[in-house]
Amino acid sequence: MTRRQKKLIKTILLYIVLFILAFLLLFPLLWGISASLRSDNELFSYVMPFSWHTLIPVEWTFQSYIDLFAKYNFLKPVMNTLFVTAVSIIIGCFLNSIAAFAFAMFDFPLKNFLFGLVLLSFMIPFEAIALPLYQVVDSMHLVDTYQGLILPSLANGLVMFLFVQFFRDIPAELLDAARVDGAGVGKVFVTILMPLSKPIFITAGLMFFMNQWNSYLWPLLIARSKNIRTIQIALGFFSTEHKTNWSALYAGSMFSAMIPLCLFLPLQKYFVQGITSSGIKG
Amino acid sequence: MLHLSRKMRFLPYLLILPALLLLFVFKLYPIIITLRESFIGKNGLTLKNFQLLFKDSIFWNSLMVTLKMNIVIIPLQIFIALIFALLVNAPIRGIGIFRTIFYLPITISATVSCLVWNVMLNPNSGVVNSFLNYIGIGAQDFFLDKNQALWCIVLVASWIGCGYWMMFILAGLKNIDPVLYEAAMVDGSGWLHTTLTITLPLLKNVLLFVFVANTTSNILLFVPMQLITNGGPQGSTDVLMFEAYLSAFKYYDRSRSSAIVLVLLVLIIIICAFQAKMLNEKSDRGAGKA
Repeated sequence: MTRRQKKLIKTILLYIVLFILAFLLLFPLLWGISASLRSDNELFSYVMPFSWHTLIPVEWTFQSYIDLFAKYNFLKPVMNTLFVTAVSIIIGCFLNSIAAFAFAMFDFPLKNFLFGLVLLSFMIPFEAIALPLYQVVDSMHLVDTYQGLILPSLANGLVMFLFVQFFRDIPAELLDAARVDGAGVGKVFVTILMPLSKPIFITAGLMFFMNQWNSYLWPLLIARSKNIRTIQIALGFFSTEHKTNWSALYAGSMFSAMIPLCLFLPLQKYFVQGITSSGIKG
Repeated sequence: MLHLSRKMRFLPYLLILPALLLLFVFKLYPIIITLRESFIGKNGLTLKNFQLLFKDSIFWNSLMVTLKMNIVIIPLQIFIALIFALLVNAPIRGIGIFRTIFYLPITISATVSCLVWNVMLNPNSGVVNSFLNYIGIGAQDFFLDKNQALWCIVLVASWIGCGYWMMFILAGLKNIDPVLYEAAMVDGSGWLHTTLTITLPLLKNVLLFVFVANTTSNILLFVPMQLITNGGPQGSTDVLMFEAYLSAFKYYDRSRSSAIVLVLLVLIIIICAFQAKMLNEKSDRGAGKA
């Protein structure tokens, strides 16, 4: 066997392994989509014995998606989640990036101590503080408000850390030159730093998006009333102790899973770049 | 560093103020509350909460379940993530698509993931049992069997998490200078040998980060328990974090909940220190050989 043939066989084997793994990872999602496209009376009828129709619907229908919005008013939680997510992304990126700008570009007394606090905060996982955090938010009378959903997630130690690492690699001469030309700090930030930092802004935005879009525990504690309920909480109401509304639950779940997918596919390139440049280096 | 005039010397503080204020109120202050609630009783400082906890057989069962799960799930997830990262780092056509697919489960919410897996693994009407019957293995009880439930949760959590950890390891792989691989190839080193002697030692810092972050997230894992098993059957999936959640929101016993969270944080610190030590020793030996 020549070297080239050997290499070809290796590549083919690699593809086979990748395809099998991809199928296993995708299966639950594909199966969920398939279930969401079944009619109500077909939902459980083809499970046993195993056949093609266990996996693929006999009759394809979008009825459960139509019902989801027409009958169950799913639009309200979707809009709530979009609002909370959008506000978190915009304010979160702004606050963390200007703080990171200060940490990366200037020397000032107490800098190392304060940055140490930032690092400490991102080692404290949210689950560990969720319960006392509830008391804090409750004492500020923010339970059941949008502020209560948004405020605790805005300052994010990990995001700030990623920003700092990225800004550090930007040559200071570039910024200094602009300052000499008379541009203020704000102008330097907006016209020079921001365009150079596209991958890291996208990475931070995606992190905020995923945090808010998929967050479950926090809205479960905070969003009590119907009009500020988020998607993940609304999904929980399709299933009660007595009865589960399967078709609405499937359609709602798949809808909530599709949106991040559509965002992630085109942006994944920047996401890898953003993390790669973060200084979590080998 | 940029230079600041005297007039502007407060600018950095102004820039970091909003973010640090929020961090303090919503991240650091809750930790102080946890400490206060677990150590302060009606008459000042006390260890009563911990004494109560250590006499409680439910606590000891939860601690054992937590340890049992984590001894398996942490190495398992990191091993799979490493394999995934090595695979999707291959320079072949269309690899970006596989990278996205491997990463995809983390973009789906835990609620949806748990729901789909719970239905797929349903003993009576689940697609997995249907398939197992078809190939002759026979139906399993999965989440309803006290010997299987915990491992089913390990499966679900790994399906969700491995792609996420893969991303960090992949970032580390991308930062390794390709010249090193070429040199190894010239020396006639095989793929496995190159991976063990060159790639892994160079990934030390990334792996340390992944180990610490992975340990933290798994020790505090409780959403699958809350959504699928409720700690059962017979306490077999009743991890400590789930007990902390129950104490705070079902039994309204905040001091018990705070004490458990504190035990968990201590546990995380011990395990991470142990991992850091192991990783340092290992790479020292690796470097010695090379």
